[in-house]
Amino acid sequence: MTPLSYHVQEYVLLAALLFSIGGLGFLIRRNVLIQLMCVEIMLNATNLLLVAFNRLYPSSMTGQVFAFFVIAVAAAEAAVGLAIILGFYRLRNSVHSDDADILRH
Amino acid sequence: MTITIEDLRVLTLPLELSALLFLVLIADIATSSVRGKTFTGWLTFWGLCVVFGLTFVSPVAGEAFGGRFRADTWTLFMTRWFIVAGAVVTLGGIDRIRRMASRRQGEYNLLLLFSLLGMVLLIGALDLILLLLCFELSSIPLFVMAAIEKRKGQEFKLMLTAEGAIKFFLVGVVSTPIALLGLALIMGMVGDSSIAALDGATTSPLLKVGLLLLLSGMGFKLGVVPFHMWVPDTYQSAPAPFVAFLSTAPKVTALVALARILVSGLQNRSELWTPAVTTLCVGTLVMGNFWALGQRSTKRLLAYSGIGHIGYFMMALLVGDNTGMAMFLFYVVAYLLTNIGTFLVVEAVCGRSEDESIDVFAGLSRRSPWLAMSMLLFLLSLAGIPFVVGFWAKLYVFIAAWRAGYSWLVVTGALLAIVALYYYLQIARVMYMNEPKVKDPIAVKPSLAAGVLICLLGIVGYGAYPRPLLESARAAADAFMQTRSATVSVSLR
Amino acid sequence: MNQAWISTLVFLVVSAVLAASVMIAARILGVASKRRTKLTLTTYECGEEPEGPAWLKFHPRYYVVALVFVLFDVEAVFLFTWALILPDLGMLAIVDMFLFIGILLLGWVFALSKGALRWQ
Repeated sequence: MTPLSYHVQEYVLLAALLFSIGGLGFLIRRNVLIQLMCVEIMLNATNLLLVAFNRLYPSSMTGQVFAFFVIAVAAAEAAVGLAIILGFYRLRNSVHSDDADILRH
Repeated sequence: MTITIEDLRVLTLPLELSALLFLVLIADIATSSVRGKTFTGWLTFWGLCVVFGLTFVSPVAGEAFGGRFRADTWTLFMTRWFIVAGAVVTLGGIDRIRRMASRRQGEYNLLLLFSLLGMVLLIGALDLILLLLCFELSSIPLFVMAAIEKRKGQEFKLMLTAEGAIKFFLVGVVSTPIALLGLALIMGMVGDSSIAALDGATTSPLLKVGLLLLLSGMGFKLGVVPFHMWVPDTYQSAPAPFVAFLSTAPKVTALVALARILVSGLQNRSELWTPAVTTLCVGTLVMGNFWALGQRSTKRLLAYSGIGHIGYFMMALLVGDNTGMAMFLFYVVAYLLTNIGTFLVVEAVCGRSEDESIDVFAGLSRRSPWLAMSMLLFLLSLAGIPFVVGFWAKLYVFIAAWRAGYSWLVVTGALLAIVALYYYLQIARVMYMNEPKVKDPIAVKPSLAAGVLICLLGIVGYGAYPRPLLESARAAADAFMQTRSATVSVSLR
Repeated sequence: MNQAWISTLVFLVVSAVLAASVMIAARILGVASKRRTKLTLTTYECGEEPEGPAWLKFHPRYYVVALVFVLFDVEAVFLFTWALILPDLGMLAIVDMFLFIGILLLGWVFALSKGALRWQ
């Protein structure tokens, strides 16, 4: 039996794909709100991975429980992020990360 | 698994801190109509003092939640120092927050307490889930604190603050899924979330990828070199008393989380992580110190110097045994006291003028000799000159690394310490040699001066007599390295 | 495993064929596609005329309320799982959950006292 049986492999691939989509989006897009959404995609990819890995160890619920907590963490981060982005928008009239370019040495 | 009274007894210290948090929360709600009050700041400070005192009264030891959380000598040691850091930062920041965020003082202090609570819980966590949750609890409030200032009529400065905060947030928020993916892969390979189970992980490529992802995710939060971009910008734009906190306690927290997983969890599998950590360590040491050379802004210079210090921390982690952890802890205390003190002096000198270039320090020795003297001592401690505490910290780390066979790393570190000495002394030279632009002495608020004084006493006292600190660090490190403990004991030291 | 993938494939093919056939049928049979008048291009062909652009600015208050909502909404994740296994957990779980909600309630009171929910 390979370490990744129980059809976990497909889920790992899907999670990797989702994570890459999120990561690429974060790097490519310049709208901070969309970047935040990309981070959420990445978090969901890890959630998928956690739940999929949990199938390898049917006796424990660790992965499932972790996924719930990750949802809570993601919500907290989104709330804080939206507040910061709103503050930035009020000052600069823009939500583009390219406009955050005053600070230089 | 149900929670028993015994579990709660083990959690005494975090619970005391939460009680303080709720007290401040309720006090802030009750006085929400009063404007410009520094009440919550003082309540936070004195509350932290009380919690600090309580750590001496009833030290608890034991395991809670089926071994997921442990209280022992190690947690006691770290909790005390985190509380000291929190209290000093609160004290030093009271005036700045009253001036710059007068309607948000309650929020500022609450966020600081939330962050502290996360840290205090993290040091006892023996479970990956708990570790990550505590880490997030300690880092999410920081994003808000970086953006908390609101200044009327200073639109440009406000823009800088918002920009520093948004950079900090974006980097911080993207590092979470990266570290989390790493943890998920590690957990998938181990099959359990407890630290003790890490040793039994099957060596597979996925485990290595997981460790690498975890290191990069934590690297973002730590600001080690390939992931350091946000550090100077955020330090420059955020209020100095907050930077005093940001540059110390959260960094130590991230390092402790890494140490918990790598040094204590994978202590028999160090071949898995030493190559990556060595690379990060060397890169951080070299680049951090060299980038600091050309800086004209004090806060940016100190930011790069802080990045360099993370390299010395990682050197101590690389040793990977009890001695290494003891030296790591000694360095933690030295760094906490010195860096908080330095940034509080920066706040005293630059806080009102909002100009934080090195030139502001010109002739400080003639304007405020005491301030100049304390800054000089802090800089010497950062540089590692005898006989302030930073010297012993560097020396001990070097000795431990040398004995562990990292002689080339020690040589690199020592050479870079000389580079660091050059830029630290640049500030000292400006303070003592240059003519002041303004002759008036700097008015320092008593609260800020008290904060500086506490740090100063710490670095001079432990510099003159490091033995007690060294011994308690050794005891704490021994407790830290036990992952599977049958008997948990606590020493009162 | 192959069985599952084949059924997915069949599902994909069927849905693609269905979607394509509906669109082609609309093109052949439809009347509107041949007579593009001003009316066919409006948002709604009957009923109220739409007023103003769709991209209007929301009042910032919406964001604050949305922020608070997001935070308290996630509580449902834990409530749901808790409710599913409540019979096995017994009395202690109820106390725990009320403690949890109590803490959140304190947060709500904090938001209320700070005026985050006031609509002015």
